[in-house]
Amino acid sequence: MSFDWSVVWQHRDALIAGTATTILLTVATMAIAVPCGIIVAILRLYGWAPMRALATAYVEFFRNLPLILVVFWAFYVPPILTGLGLSPLATGLAALALNVTAYNAETFRAGINSIRRGQVEAAMVLGMNRVQALRRVVVPQAVRRILPVLASTWVSLFKDTSLVSVIAVTELAYVSMQIRAQSFRVLEMLTAMAAIYWLLGYPQAKLVDWIQRRFAITE
Amino acid sequence: MNADTSPLRPMAAGAKIIRYRGVIKRYGGFQALGGVDLDVHAGEVVCLIGPSGSGKSTLLRCTNGLEAIDGGDIEFEGAMLPRDERALRAVRTRMGMVFQSFELFPHLTALENVAEGPRTVLRNDLVEANRRATAMLAKVGLADKASSYPSALSGGQQQRVAIARALAMEPDVMLFDEPTSALDPETIGEVLSVMKKLADEGMTMVVVTHEMTFARRVGDWVAVFDTGRIVEQGPPTQIFDAPTTERTRDFLSHLGWTG
Repeated sequence: MSFDWSVVWQHRDALIAGTATTILLTVATMAIAVPCGIIVAILRLYGWAPMRALATAYVEFFRNLPLILVVFWAFYVPPILTGLGLSPLATGLAALALNVTAYNAETFRAGINSIRRGQVEAAMVLGMNRVQALRRVVVPQAVRRILPVLASTWVSLFKDTSLVSVIAVTELAYVSMQIRAQSFRVLEMLTAMAAIYWLLGYPQAKLVDWIQRRFAITE
Repeated sequence: MNADTSPLRPMAAGAKIIRYRGVIKRYGGFQALGGVDLDVHAGEVVCLIGPSGSGKSTLLRCTNGLEAIDGGDIEFEGAMLPRDERALRAVRTRMGMVFQSFELFPHLTALENVAEGPRTVLRNDLVEANRRATAMLAKVGLADKASSYPSALSGGQQQRVAIARALAMEPDVMLFDEPTSALDPETIGEVLSVMKKLADEGMTMVVVTHEMTFARRVGDWVAVFDTGRIVEQGPPTQIFDAPTTERTRDFLSHLGWTG
């Protein structure tokens, strides 16, 4: 059995470009899913009843569908219904953002709800209004509980971006599989892909651990 | 009998700070307060005692509008307790409240906890808020803990910070909701002595408590609650030495009170 690792070096430009797209997808997805998640969480917590129901339906819908199905759906269905199609990258980003927004909304909602009612009462008896109690007492504590979960979601997302390779988004997984198909260097390319994901993912996971220690609240 | 003219209630001559009349509170089908009448005069320490679930804490929580009443009325400093949230907030700035579970803000230091009300509600600048907070921490004997977070303080220290936090608003009355019930026996004393000092300085206080010795020694007036009503009220000498109702005697003997 002979291995030819030079194939990895030969295709370094494509691999670097694919890696860049993976990072771009992760960052862009979070850049959309954090503010949107906050909005959905606020609607679920404080919106009037129909908005609350709508936000809940959204979260429960996307949280309970396989991401790959959402990716396929976003790629195939809108063109059938409207005749218009987005680029694979935009489609993949939309699918990821829909999914992660639902998760983030739950993270924010749970974070806010985890602050005991007594804390809000302690703020209110000082004469604070609800917005002040939220801003000065609830949110600063909730953030400490939300950040570590958000960081975990980030690490999962970084790996899950590989799912959009099924609609030919030229991120790391897709690029690697393409090179494998052309060169027949299956083991080398899968190993290279694993190494890149791992080397990028491991420091992120360590960062998450650090964040979780840093923001742990002792009561 | 009109309690206001009793020689046993010397401070009844002073202004009424809080006046409860026929206060009713229901939770669904459960009647937590079944018509409570009570007066609190300026400078008085009024202790609310009685078995758990008898309505003492509920009355306290109605006093500052944390709970809305379903009947009767509550007057504070001559005006009906407002229902409107904005007006209620103005009233709350004049009533300090201390909780059984302290409820210090865990993300803030002791000093920041105490300065939070003056900062956010009274809109003091940072220097003024910190000056006030420092003075209040000194008052409860915790000047050296200003930069400690609540998690680094004992229960007794946390509760004293909570008292300082309430005092920093310069309230006209302090409401204490079982302030020592969550404390280790060895730290109860330090909290009670801070409360005693406050009482001696003339602070008007309403205290829900299971500390009969405190009620007896520091209280000016004691109200005994049972199933949502006041079954007896009077000066501590009457309540503890010569209770006039069977319910009071039962309650006190149940606690092993021997005078």
